[in-house]
Amino acid sequence: MTDYRNPIIDKAIDMAIELGADQARAIVEKDIENSVTVLNNEVDKIMSSSSSTLFLQLYIDGRYGSFSTNMLREDELRKFIAEAVECTRLIAPDPCRRLPEQEWYFKGTAADLGQFDPKIESLSGEERIAKALAASQEVWGKHRKLLSIETEWGDEIEYSDIADSQGFRGQTLQSSYTISANCSIKGRGDEKPESWWYDGAMFADRLKCEGIGATALQRGLDSLNPKKLKSGKYDIVIENTVSSKMVSPLLAALSGGNLQQCNSFLRDALGKKVFGDNFTMVDRPHTPGMAGSRWFDDNGLATADRDIIRDGVVSSYFISDYYARKMQMDPTISGASVLRFPKASGIDGKKLNLQDIMKAVDRGILITDFNGGNYNHATGDFSYGVIGFMFENGVPVHPIREMNITGNFIQLWNNLLHIGDDGRTCSKWMIPTLAFADVNFSGI
Amino acid sequence: MPLFGVNRDILERLISLALSRGGDYADVFFEYSTSNELTLRDGEVNTVENSADYGVGIRVLKDGRTGYAYSESTDMKDMERAALTASCIADGLCGSANTIGFRPVDFIDRYPMKRSWEDFSLLARKEYLQQINDRAFGLNEYVTKVIANLAFDHSRILFFNSLGDYYCDERPVVSLVTSCILTKGSQSENATVSRSFRMGSEMLTPALQDEICAELSKNMEHLFDAGKPKGGKMPVVMGAGSSGILLHEAIGHAFEADFNRKGTSIFSDRMGQKICSEKISVVDDGTLPANRGSVNVDDEGVVGQKTYMVKDGILTSYLHDRISAAHYGVAPTGNGRRESFRFNPIPRMRATYMEDGDCSEEDIIHSVRKGIYVDNFTNGQVEIGAGDFTFYVKSGYLIENGRLTAPIKDVNIIGNGPEALADITAIAANSRVDNGTWTCGKDQYCLVSCGMPSVLVKSLTVGGSL
Repeated sequence: MTDYRNPIIDKAIDMAIELGADQARAIVEKDIENSVTVLNNEVDKIMSSSSSTLFLQLYIDGRYGSFSTNMLREDELRKFIAEAVECTRLIAPDPCRRLPEQEWYFKGTAADLGQFDPKIESLSGEERIAKALAASQEVWGKHRKLLSIETEWGDEIEYSDIADSQGFRGQTLQSSYTISANCSIKGRGDEKPESWWYDGAMFADRLKCEGIGATALQRGLDSLNPKKLKSGKYDIVIENTVSSKMVSPLLAALSGGNLQQCNSFLRDALGKKVFGDNFTMVDRPHTPGMAGSRWFDDNGLATADRDIIRDGVVSSYFISDYYARKMQMDPTISGASVLRFPKASGIDGKKLNLQDIMKAVDRGILITDFNGGNYNHATGDFSYGVIGFMFENGVPVHPIREMNITGNFIQLWNNLLHIGDDGRTCSKWMIPTLAFADVNFSGI
Repeated sequence: MPLFGVNRDILERLISLALSRGGDYADVFFEYSTSNELTLRDGEVNTVENSADYGVGIRVLKDGRTGYAYSESTDMKDMERAALTASCIADGLCGSANTIGFRPVDFIDRYPMKRSWEDFSLLARKEYLQQINDRAFGLNEYVTKVIANLAFDHSRILFFNSLGDYYCDERPVVSLVTSCILTKGSQSENATVSRSFRMGSEMLTPALQDEICAELSKNMEHLFDAGKPKGGKMPVVMGAGSSGILLHEAIGHAFEADFNRKGTSIFSDRMGQKICSEKISVVDDGTLPANRGSVNVDDEGVVGQKTYMVKDGILTSYLHDRISAAHYGVAPTGNGRRESFRFNPIPRMRATYMEDGDCSEEDIIHSVRKGIYVDNFTNGQVEIGAGDFTFYVKSGYLIENGRLTAPIKDVNIIGNGPEALADITAIAANSRVDNGTWTCGKDQYCLVSCGMPSVLVKSLTVGGSL
């Protein structure tokens, strides 16, 4: 296996201290990426890239600066760091800025979390082309409504090496493969609705390449002739491909940066019951084989199993060492790693997937994608455009279009009906299918 | 060229290698970009962030297909490797190795810096942010936090292609973003104002501070009183300036010719047709002085220009890069843009705006019995093929019996591009381009801007309460 280490990381820290920094952290990120795009069975684009970037954080007289460069020759780097030191000295001090306390660091041996497939290093251009072509060939020319299909193969190696002047050192290495298809379908009049499907995996033999093109096409055909519904309250089911849209605002609201700046709808919520009993979300950062798994965060802080929401009670914030000092709290970790939902719904002991949840909800709207929208970080109010299907008796009746959902995240999660057990392994957080009651829809 | 350590011989050698397997066209794009950022938080400028990014991207085209590779090193062997990788899009054993000369691209500099960044010291910039902070706290009694960020990005570009076109360009961008958090009892709210120009540090004037504070004050005025409108279909009056997001999302992307070349845009078959009122003309313009979306020369050697997408209601041009222009047999329009040397250029908007109409904003508002007025947005999105677009309204007002009444906030608006364009029934004579930090995220990040006169869209679906 290739040795991705770059000795520049040690030199950068030495130079920073030599040039006047009290403390320094350096991160070298190396990224090797290849992709092939096929348009209607013809190779349309081949891309190949390799990059190495040095990130440097300096702490000087209680002052803090953050710097990055990909110009890593020693002479260039010395000049860059000298300027960085000079800039940092000119800004206002922030007494909370320093490297982590020793007891917060990850210590010990970082056992392999199963995130790297050595086969990626020997993948050939011909193999990449063959995979992308095969996804296109599944359907191109085989359905009269298919106007075009663009398929893409991608593979990536991401290596990160972190070191600081207090002696912390840690590396991560991850491989990823993706295959995707995007279809354009003949719709009403000039309309050419698009549909997509994809899979991703850290190991080539876990990637489901078959059926990508066919699934994308079928999703497009299913979405033809959408109708606009009357405005009203509907129960919603959100497919596991896009359900993270409802979870990421919670994670942002629990982050130290937003909490400290009073820009969070979950400020002052720690230890309080904000959500219903049926909502529990935990972080399991050491789960083998998951893309989000990690032993330490970007600052070297040790990760740990943690309840985030337990029976509706906000159990933990995401607090980095900096915000811990700033907010006079204990640090946890900066951001979520691998989310789990132990209270996933079950019927007769069976965990639920999308179809089970639609049956359980019986009637409502299945959301398969979002079209724009946003939310207010301070209040939790949201408004999103949605794409999906009206369903009755647990099965889709017709696609919908041009509709918005509007509400508030605290209220939404209090109306949680079901959590599936079907998070996609190709997504970092593995958010499963979710169902909520009584969501405001604006349509006709 | 000293910056990148290359000369004409090296450039020609790279193009020869790139075409060595039979490519039709090749270009090399050298870039050295630096960024200097200061952030004020909790009353003090206590974070500085600098970055440097250097490299060369090499592209080969063959029958409209793309081979692309980049190198972060300009050592000859690394660049040769990238050229050979990109050449693989063609599968011939040999190609034409000769370029046809060395021809500087003649362009007008739309964004000369009058005062360099270095001439406005870090201490002066720090003081500038501190003044904004101090004034922001005085704008509204409920302001509890201010975050102000000042960024100067500067890219130096060297470009050469197999047609012999050669240019060097300097692309400055200054961005100033100020956000306030307001707290009233247990309620919190936020308001943000931004400005961005392709300028030097001459942008940082007292007048700009006045402008930002005035807009912040306006945006904060009704935050705690604003509610949600009753959702559903209704007339929407879009105020002048940032309402240009409607054009960007509803039609701009659909006019980008890569979508049309692939037949995936809802406007693919509408060239030359009347698509809206003859009072409407929509421009994508790379020539506005100091505008965030302007380009002296695009990223494939085509001079920046002003392109009418819609003229007097007729669809007159898509936005082309070299690939789509060749496909359609037209000249490229200077829209081939890329995020950095790490990306191949694709058709992108620049400054997209609608030209003036013939009535006043007051008349438009008076004509609406029941609807909403919106003029402050955060983001938008579009489904290119279906034409359904959305944009998120940060604040606005109800219109009741021709008058602005209750303030509203945080609603998403959704519509269909061709229908919304056809539904614009009144256009004011107050068109202006908004100078916020607009960034488009189609596959790659790209700086843009947008503008609009006040218009009436007779029916859009507004998110809201029941």
